[in-house]
Amino acid sequence: MVSTRAYGPSLAQRLSEPFDSLQRLGRRAILALLGIAVGCAAVVALLNIGHNAQRQAMAVFKGMGSDLLVADVQWPAGAHLSAQATQPFDAQAVREAEPGLRAISPLSLSSVRVSLHGRTHDALLAGVDPQVAEVLDLRLIEGRFISPYDSRSTHAVLGERLAADLAAQGMPVMPGAQLQIAGYVFQVIGVLHGIGQNPLLPLSIDDSLLIPLEGMRRLVSAPQVGTVLARTADGADPLSVAPRLQARLQTALPGRTIDVQAPQQLLAGIAQQSRLFSWLLAGLGGIALLVGGVGVMNVMLMNVSERRREIGVRMALGARPQDIAWLFLLEAVVLAVTGAAGGAVLGVGAGWLFTLLSGWADFTLAPLSLPLGIGGAVLTGLFFGLSPALSAARLQPVQALRDD
Amino acid sequence: MPESPNQTLIRLQGVTHAYSSHSAARPVLRDVSLSVEAGQSCAIVGASGSGKSTLLSLIGLLDQPTQGHLHLAGRDMTLATDGARALMRNQHIGFVFQGFNLLPRLDALDNVALPLLYRGEPRNSAREAARQQLRRVGLGERLHHRPAELSGGQRQRVAIARALVGEPQLLLADEPTGNLDGQTAQDIIELLLALNREQGVTLIIVTHDLGIARRLQRCLQVVEGCIREVVHG
Repeated sequence: MVSTRAYGPSLAQRLSEPFDSLQRLGRRAILALLGIAVGCAAVVALLNIGHNAQRQAMAVFKGMGSDLLVADVQWPAGAHLSAQATQPFDAQAVREAEPGLRAISPLSLSSVRVSLHGRTHDALLAGVDPQVAEVLDLRLIEGRFISPYDSRSTHAVLGERLAADLAAQGMPVMPGAQLQIAGYVFQVIGVLHGIGQNPLLPLSIDDSLLIPLEGMRRLVSAPQVGTVLARTADGADPLSVAPRLQARLQTALPGRTIDVQAPQQLLAGIAQQSRLFSWLLAGLGGIALLVGGVGVMNVMLMNVSERRREIGVRMALGARPQDIAWLFLLEAVVLAVTGAAGGAVLGVGAGWLFTLLSGWADFTLAPLSLPLGIGGAVLTGLFFGLSPALSAARLQPVQALRDD
Repeated sequence: MPESPNQTLIRLQGVTHAYSSHSAARPVLRDVSLSVEAGQSCAIVGASGSGKSTLLSLIGLLDQPTQGHLHLAGRDMTLATDGARALMRNQHIGFVFQGFNLLPRLDALDNVALPLLYRGEPRNSAREAARQQLRRVGLGERLHHRPAELSGGQRQRVAIARALVGEPQLLLADEPTGNLDGQTAQDIIELLLALNREQGVTLIIVTHDLGIARRLQRCLQVVEGCIREVVHG
């Protein structure tokens, strides 16, 4: 009697058998499954940690403003300050000469002791051009910002945290308050909104006291411009403006080393480093997966050797070599798929927990983490399950039946 | 499916079989030629190690002859692939082993349904056929018992039901009563003989028991790898 139906067990039958067999394997199956789950969890968790670390780094650097240019101005080592050093720096001439610039401001820093109502507080003093408000997008909580007319006045604007610190020490400051700095009385004309930490800037604006650059001469004998901040005009490419600004600053500030940085360059570098970091972590996860795969192979080899007689019986009843191969391969795949599913949940959970404990921004799932983790785990199961399955399929029925 | 009488079901021509390809290896079977007609019952007897189980394995396509030709149901199976031999076993041959060889984690019903599942039958119809076959061997009340929950005789009946579920032309039994006590052994032999008599299934039994051998139509004795026909006296 030859049936016209395709020979071999139906798909449903093939899929139901591995579960029965694995139940019989008990603890050994659970250990193999655990190996795969840990490997998959490692891949998923590490990819997600890498991804979220990258997002966090990008978020921090994106806050710098993508149209900001920061020029670091330094005297070369061993240079002695000549007359050039005291020559005033005309920032506005640079801006007018460079159409790609929207605003520019030099920055001169100094540390000072501020006195108010008989109490003192150490603060960072920044001499700036009024245009710094436009460069750094500064907003005021109250009062007004330094204007071009304040260049000769002893007016000052406070960063938000400095104002809060002074208030916490019993020195509440509001516009009109008079601060004593190195024997001079400075009048507070405004308090800034916080802008957060910008890693490209040499100071935290929130913790600083801002005064007109010209006023620095009162407090420091030879104030030096250590940084020039600039913002590119709308539509100008910061990466092409940067070298032109560098050349112009080199002319305007002779004898000094100028290094202009654009956040975009840093962002690209950080993104590349983060990607590398993510793949390194995924590689570590891959090694864990490999170890899990060896566990699967071990369990499957023992499984095949313990079930030689069963293989012989199945062959006697009509199982072809490929039916036997599928039987064992599907057991390995079921182990791997179950382990991968558990590992994926575990990995996402671990990534989420790591993000939470690191105080990073909201957790987002790395798009490739699940396909790579689960796919990798299933392929590992397939790869390491293939050899035991083929060795089972290659048995001759008479050999397998003879085995006790 | 009973064959018409006098049709040759099994034909071995000059079959030699050795377990090692090494030239020094002594063959287990030497130049064996044999024909068995459809519907016959045949005993294979001989001392331990004489080669009778090997002969049964070759007839059952569980092994391949080193030399010679083997025809089964009119087809030359000498050089058939593993897959073709599996198909042939499934569709034409039922096996009954001394050690029953039931799969321990399957119940009686699923053990019996297994050959039909390999044939590609849907699970439900395979189980229905298995249920009927188990009723025929008197185990209608033990369908969902696992082998460990059955007696030796009941296990061998499950094995016979499994051998018959695919309606084979040929039933090969290797010492089917070897692990059973006297009365149970007697019942199993009666069952096998009834199947041969009533359903026309060709029956080949390997046995040590000359009493059983005498009840079959033919008796072949294997002596040091050669066979000779024993005429019942």
